[in-house]
Amino acid sequence: MRQFLPNTIIISPIGEIEDDILKAIEKGVKDAFGYPTEITPLIENVDFAYDAHRDQYHSTPILERLSDTAPAHCLKILGIVDVDLFIPILTHVYGEAQLGGKASIISTYRLKKGILEPFRSEKYVCRLRKEAAHELGHTFNLKHCREQSCIMHYCRRIEDVDHKSERFCRYCKILLNDEIKRLRAKGIKPLPT
Amino acid sequence: MSGTKILIVDDELIMRESLAGWLERDGHDVFTAASGEEALEKIKETHFDIILLDIRMEGMSGIEALKHIKEDDPEVAIVMITAYGSISTAIEAMKGGAYDYLLKPFDPEELGILIEKIIKDQARQRENLFLREQYKDRIRFESLLGQSKAMQEIFDLIEDIGPTDSTVLILGETGTGKGLAAKAIHTYSPRSQGPFVVVNCGAFPENLLESELFGYQKGAFTDAKKTKKGRLELAHGGTLFLDEIGEISMRMQIDLLRILEDRVFYRLGGTQPIEADFRVIAATNKNLDDAIKSGAFREDLYYRLNVISFTMPPLRQRKEDIPLLAEHFLRRFAQETNKHIDQISREAMDEMMLYDWPGNVRELQNAIERAVVIAKGRKIMPEDLPIFRQEHRTPPKSKSLKEVEKHHIAEILRETNWNISRSAKILGIDRATLYNKIKRYQIEKSS
Repeated sequence: MRQFLPNTIIISPIGEIEDDILKAIEKGVKDAFGYPTEITPLIENVDFAYDAHRDQYHSTPILERLSDTAPAHCLKILGIVDVDLFIPILTHVYGEAQLGGKASIISTYRLKKGILEPFRSEKYVCRLRKEAAHELGHTFNLKHCREQSCIMHYCRRIEDVDHKSERFCRYCKILLNDEIKRLRAKGIKPLPT
Repeated sequence: MSGTKILIVDDELIMRESLAGWLERDGHDVFTAASGEEALEKIKETHFDIILLDIRMEGMSGIEALKHIKEDDPEVAIVMITAYGSISTAIEAMKGGAYDYLLKPFDPEELGILIEKIIKDQARQRENLFLREQYKDRIRFESLLGQSKAMQEIFDLIEDIGPTDSTVLILGETGTGKGLAAKAIHTYSPRSQGPFVVVNCGAFPENLLESELFGYQKGAFTDAKKTKKGRLELAHGGTLFLDEIGEISMRMQIDLLRILEDRVFYRLGGTQPIEADFRVIAATNKNLDDAIKSGAFREDLYYRLNVISFTMPPLRQRKEDIPLLAEHFLRRFAQETNKHIDQISREAMDEMMLYDWPGNVRELQNAIERAVVIAKGRKIMPEDLPIFRQEHRTPPKSKSLKEVEKHHIAEILRETNWNISRSAKILGIDRATLYNKIKRYQIEKSS
């Protein structure tokens, strides 16, 4: 019997996320990591993660749920939500990821800041692509980078997200390639370039 | 490796885990403890740079834990975590030595800025300490000595590899003289007329190490008021000694590998490639094989450094060198302090021969330095040696090496009122090693 190896990055919208935006994110993810991608909703809502006291959604249980529902061909998952996310010790997060794990998530909620018509804005889409690659980067074992233009740079303010590029710096590229090599040794290959 | 070591102490699992995850993604080495008691256990095994300590916990309170931790390690930065209701307690904690406090939940920006500030402050302190130690070593510890077979082999090796231009990796415990061996290799090399440039990789955080090595152009960053040459450039024509190579970050490992391959680099903010011709000698007391297995050290860099490698023997494996070394240090310190001391008594020498010297030659040097200060007559007596307590100076034959070591450690702990940092410094070992020995020998405060 042929062994089935996971090699696909799944983009999983949760709630109402526009198709055009999803496609733009999917393209960004494919360009950044080189693995096959697909858009597949894996969970219907994130009500289970709602915290009434904070009126926000706890991102960590969402990651666990995404990871649990991942199909066999899924290498990594990126969840996309439009609600405000938090982790208990911090006031808010733009996204979260399992370091070296399977699941990551981003929220569109705070990335709309300062943009009047987000869905028509290239700036907004660009922010989403950057945060998507950043959180997925964590699942490939990449940590925050102090190179301000690198996609793995941790942005304290939304303006910093706008300033960073959509690329990995030289260092992060090498570390990402190391991780991809490790996956390749297990038979998990990206798309031929 | 090389990330800042952070301990989170909070009795709420969810708080510990969410903060740990965030800090790990930020590149730090994160540990957690669910209570003040567990935190005290953890600090016995590991040295932390920063401790994030919740004030309100079941059992030992954060304030109480702060007191105990500060007694053990006055240098660790402790940030108190508090809810709105406990701000006054947090302020009280700062009077008790806490670095700062944070209100739960924190703004990620606030947390990031605070951690960065602590790292910079600690780097400055480490650099000052390193410069002081380097100065001390230069004037006091300038020659390798030894008649033992182990040291004769090291001397032969140094003579053989000195004239080659190969990269050398020196392994060995702390205090065994790895830096001196590196200097000796430089002296035997055709580069001996060139500079011998030392970089203590463990003394700098990543960004400072980068500017130390590469230098920078004026305006490369806010504090770069004028162009500065890095140590790579300064080592041109000579030898670059990278001490504590096991401590460098992944990012610096990538840079170093590239430099070792092409010998070309750029100053920070610079666009002109700079070529430098230097030989590299690296040293570490870490087990790099283990570091490679855990993914903390790049295998490609290891093979690039490990062209020629040797291990400096610990002093306990060359005890026959103790008299020679002790006499050497005696002469030096007597001269420095202008005291007329010219002998070490037979009893004192016997005691020294029985001891295990976990801090190696550096510990022996410190012991003699102190004995010279304390000694009243022309001879160093056992009671002048800080390492041996009066009641332990029983005939040597009745004691094993382990017993002597145990008693010595207990004595130093008693002398310093169980100040772990100070005791470790006197013994010439790190705090984690001292904690391990306390545990292994079951030394207790009352003993």
